[in-house]
Amino acid sequence: MSTRTAAPTSPVTISTRVDKVGRRPKVMRGIRAFAVIVITIIALLPVVWMIMTSLKSPSDVVAVPPKIIFKPSIESFIFLVTERVQFASPQEAAEYKARDDLKWYEEKVAQRGQKITRVGDFPKQLRNSFIIAGTSTIFSVLFGVLSAYAFSRFKIPGEGDLLFFILSTRMLPPVAVTIPIFLMYRELGLDNTYFGLILLYTTFNLSFSVWLLKGFIDEIPKEYEEAALVDGYTRLQAFRKVVLPQAVTGIAATTVFCFIFAWNEYAFAAMLTSDATRTAPPSIPSIQGVGRIEWETIAAASLVFLIPVVIVTFALRKHLLRGVTFGAIRKG
Amino acid sequence: MATIELVNVEKKFGASFAVKPMNMTIYNGEFVVLLGPSGCGKTTTLRMISGLEAVTDGQILFDGKEVTWLHPSDRDIAFVFQFFALYSHMTARENIAFPLQAQGESKENIRKRVEEVAKMLRIEHLLSARPGGLSGGDQQRVALARALVRRPAAFLMDEPLGALDAEFRESMRAEIKRLHIEQNATTVYVTHDQIEAMAMGDRVVVMSAAVVQQNGTPAEVYHDPANLFVAKFIGSPGMNLIRGHYADGKVALPGDSYYAVPTDWQAAIHEVIGRAGDVILGFRPEAAHISENGPIATTVYTSDLHGSYTMLHLELNRDTIVDVRAGRGTSYPIGTPARFDLDPAMVRFFDPKTEAAIHKGGNQ
Amino acid sequence: MSSYNQPARRRHIGDKRLIQMFVIPTVLLLILMNVFPLIYSLYLSFTEYSAINPTAPKWVGLDNYRQVLSDNLYWHNFAVTGRYALISVSLQMIVGFSLAMLLKEKFKGSGILTTLILIPMMLSPAVVGAFWKNIFNPSFGIFDQMLGYSDPNTAPEWLGNPNLALWAVVIVDVWMWSPFVMLLSLAGLSAIPDYLYEAAAIDRASAWFQFRRITLPQVMPLLLIAVLFRTIEAFKQFDLVMGLTGGGPALLEGRQAVNVTETVSVRLFRLAMPPQAQTGLSSAMAYVVLVIIIAISNLYIRSLNKIREG
Repeated sequence: MSTRTAAPTSPVTISTRVDKVGRRPKVMRGIRAFAVIVITIIALLPVVWMIMTSLKSPSDVVAVPPKIIFKPSIESFIFLVTERVQFASPQEAAEYKARDDLKWYEEKVAQRGQKITRVGDFPKQLRNSFIIAGTSTIFSVLFGVLSAYAFSRFKIPGEGDLLFFILSTRMLPPVAVTIPIFLMYRELGLDNTYFGLILLYTTFNLSFSVWLLKGFIDEIPKEYEEAALVDGYTRLQAFRKVVLPQAVTGIAATTVFCFIFAWNEYAFAAMLTSDATRTAPPSIPSIQGVGRIEWETIAAASLVFLIPVVIVTFALRKHLLRGVTFGAIRKG
Repeated sequence: MATIELVNVEKKFGASFAVKPMNMTIYNGEFVVLLGPSGCGKTTTLRMISGLEAVTDGQILFDGKEVTWLHPSDRDIAFVFQFFALYSHMTARENIAFPLQAQGESKENIRKRVEEVAKMLRIEHLLSARPGGLSGGDQQRVALARALVRRPAAFLMDEPLGALDAEFRESMRAEIKRLHIEQNATTVYVTHDQIEAMAMGDRVVVMSAAVVQQNGTPAEVYHDPANLFVAKFIGSPGMNLIRGHYADGKVALPGDSYYAVPTDWQAAIHEVIGRAGDVILGFRPEAAHISENGPIATTVYTSDLHGSYTMLHLELNRDTIVDVRAGRGTSYPIGTPARFDLDPAMVRFFDPKTEAAIHKGGNQ
Repeated sequence: MSSYNQPARRRHIGDKRLIQMFVIPTVLLLILMNVFPLIYSLYLSFTEYSAINPTAPKWVGLDNYRQVLSDNLYWHNFAVTGRYALISVSLQMIVGFSLAMLLKEKFKGSGILTTLILIPMMLSPAVVGAFWKNIFNPSFGIFDQMLGYSDPNTAPEWLGNPNLALWAVVIVDVWMWSPFVMLLSLAGLSAIPDYLYEAAAIDRASAWFQFRRITLPQVMPLLLIAVLFRTIEAFKQFDLVMGLTGGGPALLEGRQAVNVTETVSVRLFRLAMPPQAQTGLSSAMAYVVLVIIIAISNLYIRSLNKIREG
C-alpha cells in the first residue's frame, strides 16, 4: 500500500503534509468547500424567503405557486407602521381617492381599498423592546462585572456553590418562574410596567453576565492590579483604572449578548406585558391584518426586528462560542 | 537502517525561506543533532525528512531511493514528538502496540514485541496505565517504545526532552544515547539545547536563519567554529570575541593591550585581511589564564562562583567584557586590575567582514 | 518615614467590604426574583387557587401533583417533549457535527461561511416561528415547493397535519440549533493537537481509525456539553412552538383530543394564563418540570466529569 503522491506542479510554499499536496486532496478540498456553500445557502434560504416576502405585494404573497420573481413593493412596510380600516362603501372609497391632499403612502393604501386611521402599534413595540432590552442590559452588565470581579479575584466562602446557584437560575424554565412573579407583580403593581420587565430581564441575564465576565476577568493577569496596589492605589481604584479598561472587550461582548437575549425574549414578555409595554417578539406572530393574514407585514416586521441581530452576529463572531456556553469554553 | 540524503532541499513559507537549499548526508547508524535557536529551520528540516512537511524544492533519498513524495508511513521511520503524541484514551500497552496493529502483525507477535521494548525501556510495570497517569519522563519512555517497536530504519526526534523537567531530562538523555548505541539506528535529533546536542550527537548540524552554519563533530563545532554565530551559540558562555586592529603580527585590543598573534596564524590572517586590518580574536573562557605578566590588561567587573571554578567577567574597556575561567582558590574583588594570557593553541581568528573563521591551514 | 507619597489619599475600603458591595446586589436580585418566587410557587403548588379568582388559596396537599402525574393528558405533554427532545437533539448533533467536520480544515472564505451558518441561532424563536409558518404553507410557502410538491391540494400540510406538525417543529429547531452544535464541535476539533494526527500518519492509521480513535474521543466532552445544553433547552421549548403551531393541531387519541405539539412548557403556559388560570395546578406542574430539568443537568454534569477524569 505504498502511496506516492505525485510531485506537485507548482512549488509548495505553505506548511502541509506530503500526502496533502497533489491532486486528490485539492479536489477533496474543492468538494468540501462546495458542500459548505450549498449548506450555507440552504441555511439562509428561510431568511432570504422572509426578505422576499416582505418585499411582495399582497397578491404576490399568496400566489400559487410561490413567486420567485416579482415586482418589489414596499407596501408591507407601510402596513407595518399603520393602523387601517376597510372602506365602508364604494362611495367612500371613491370620495377618499378623489381627495388631493393624500400623501403617497395614503394613496398606496387606498389602492388596496383601505384607509389609514392612525400610526400602528409596531413602532411603539419596537421602542419598548429597545428601552427594556437596553436598560436591563446596562444593569445586568453593571452588577455582573462587579460580582464577576469579586468571584475572580477573592476567595469567597462557598464560592463554588454560589456560582453554581447563579448558573442554575438560568436553567429554570421561564414559565416556571413567571407564575409567581406574575402574582407578585400584580400585588406590587409592577405588571405591565417598564420597571417590572426591566427588573426581570436584568435578573434573567445576570447569571449569564457574571459567568461570561468572570471568564474574561480571569484572563487579566492579577499582577496588573497588584502593581497598582503596591503603588498605593486602593482596590477600588485599581479595579476602575486597571481592570475595567483591560476588560473592555469582554464587557462589550457581554453587553451585546445580554442585549440580544433580552431583545429576543418572548415568554416573560408574552405573560407580563400587554398593550402599553408589549415588546416586539410576542407581537410579531400575532400581527393581525385587515381582513386577512398580512404575511408581507409579518415578514417586514421580522426583517426589521432581525436586522440588528444579524449585524451583531457578525460583530460578535469571535466571541459567539464563549457566549453560547456561558464562558465555559473559550477558544479551541 | 538507512542513509538519509538531502539534495538541495528547501522550504518556503510564502516568499520567505524556512530552510534555504541545503545538502546533507546522514550516514547509516549515525546520531545527528540539528541544533539552533527557535525559528532557524531545524524542525522544518526534520519534518521534511519525515514527510510531515512537503518540500518546496529538492530531493530526499533514503538509501539512494527517492522518497521526497512518499507518504510518511511508507518511509519506514519513527517520529518522537515533543509532546509525546500518545493517545490519551489508550493504555501504554495499546499505544505501543498501535503501529504494529496498523501493519497487521499477528496478536502473538505484537505481544512479544511490546514486552520486548517495554523491558528494554524498563516500563513493564506501566503497560496497563494510561498516559494521563504517567509522569512526563514515563510518557516519553512510552513514546520511545512506540517508536522502537516498529524497528524502523530511522528515528526522527523533535525536541523529545523539551517538555520534561530538568531532572528527567538528564536521565532520559542518557537513556536515549544508550538506546542508540544498542540499536545502532540512524537517528536525527532536533534540539535548541547546545549542551544536549554536544552530549548526544555523533555529529552536530548547527542551523541559524534557515541556513546550515556548520556541520561537524561536537569537538569541531566547539573548538573550531565555522563562523561568529557558531562561536557565540556553542558553549555557555559562548566564545569571547573581541574586535581589534591587526598590524605587524599584533592585534591592538580595546583598553590599549596588544596581543601577539602566534606565528603559525600570521600567514592565514595575511591571506584573508592583508597585512593590516580589523580582525576578531576569539577564545573560550578556559583558554585564558590569569597571569601577572599577561599581555591583556583588564579590571574585574564581577565574578561568579561555579562549584568547581570561578567565572570572571573582565573589563577591557567600557564596551568590552570577556569571560575568563579561573581557579576557585583566589578571590578577585570588583575593580581590581587583572591581566591574562591566552593558550596559543586555543585562540581563533575571524574575519569581521564575512564573519567566517580564518583557517590556519589555508582559506578557501 | 512619616510621610509616603501616595497618589491620592482616599477612604480605604477593606476587601471584605468590597466583596460584599460587589456580590450582594447580584445575590439579592437573584434571591428576590428567582428564589423567592420559587418558594412562593412551591406553596401555591399545594393549594387550589386561581389568579383571576378573588378567593384565597386553599391548601389541598398533594392533590395537584397527583393530578399532574396521573392524568393522561399531562403524560402526553411529557411524551411529546421527550420525543421532540430526542429527535431534535439527535438530528442537531448529526447535522452540526457533520458541518463541523466539513469546516474543520479551513479554506478560502470558510470563516465568513461559518458566521453566516450561525445566524439562525441568534434569531428570536418566536419571530422565527412566525416566518416559518409562511414557509410551511402548502399553497404559497416555499418548503413544499422545494420538496417538489407543486399542487397545493396534495402537498403536505406540515403545520395542520397531526402526523407532521411535530416534525415541522423539529425541522425548524434543527435549522436553528445545528449551528450551535457545529460551533462547539469546531472548538473541540480545533483543540485536537496536530501531532496526534501526525503520529497516526506515521503509524499508518486509516482515516476511519483516526476518526474513531482520535477525533471522536477528543471532541466527546464538547459533544456532551452540546447534548446537555440542547436537551435542557428542548425541555424549556416554548417560543418556537408558540410562534409556529401554538401547540396544535389536535389529534383524537382514543376518546381524548390531544395537541400534538403541546410541549410541557406550552401546556404550562396555557394552564397558568387566563382563561384557564389554574395557578395551583400549574405551579405543581412547573415543579415537576423543574425536577426533570435539574435531574438531566445533574446526569450530564456527572458524566462530563467522568469523561474529564478518564
